[in-house]
Amino acid sequence: MLHARVVDITKEQIELIKAEKFIASSKCGASIYFVGTVRDLNNNKKVMAMTYDSHDALVIKSFEEIYQSSIKKFNFDNSVVFIEHIKGKIKLGEISILIAVACKHRDQAYELSRFFIEEIKKKTPVWKKEHYEDGDSEWLEGNQIQKN
Amino acid sequence: MKLELYGASRDFSKESFIIFNLKEKSTIKELRVAIIKFIETNFKDNESYKKIVNSSAFCSDKDEIVSDNYKISNNERVAIIPPIGGG
Repeated sequence: MLHARVVDITKEQIELIKAEKFIASSKCGASIYFVGTVRDLNNNKKVMAMTYDSHDALVIKSFEEIYQSSIKKFNFDNSVVFIEHIKGKIKLGEISILIAVACKHRDQAYELSRFFIEEIKKKTPVWKKEHYEDGDSEWLEGNQIQKN
Repeated sequence: MKLELYGASRDFSKESFIIFNLKEKSTIKELRVAIIKFIETNFKDNESYKKIVNSSAFCSDKDEIVSDNYKISNNERVAIIPPIGGG
């Protein structure tokens, strides 16, 4: 079971409570929450905020494809995945991505959570622009998108 | 056709898109050349912008990543997908 959304920061925030409700299952004995947040320093520059840009339709499609790949790769019974990625400008410490997974066993949950974030880095069209203390801003260099 | 801008390519225009008048059934390869010409004209041959174009993928209006040989339909909306870095 998958929940996948792009969250527009001008309308709402990513909330752990929503993930907690979605992945709650008596069939699962292990839950992992991966929470990505904005860090204050990058390449020796003091970061004040981050803008996330997103091709929403392609992002959702990539989340669904990664989920299908995970089923083929791991074949875990009753796994549940909740993913939300932010779009828009957020401040230090605010959540950019939340991946919550629930599986029968802890080793499965750790493996699935790690799989999702690593695949998202390679396949999900999201871009970051850092905003610095001196008022400057810069799009971060990324990696060429990988097709499934 | 309408080129939608994402990520670093948003710096190519104040709008979220650029309109290109390409001949019918032009390919993504030809679109890439047209974008490079647009940068040469409007941004004094900005090398970092050209690097973005040359390292980008493109997405059709059916939300599919398409190859350089993909033929663009009349009035199709195509998105430029610069190197990604989410999470």
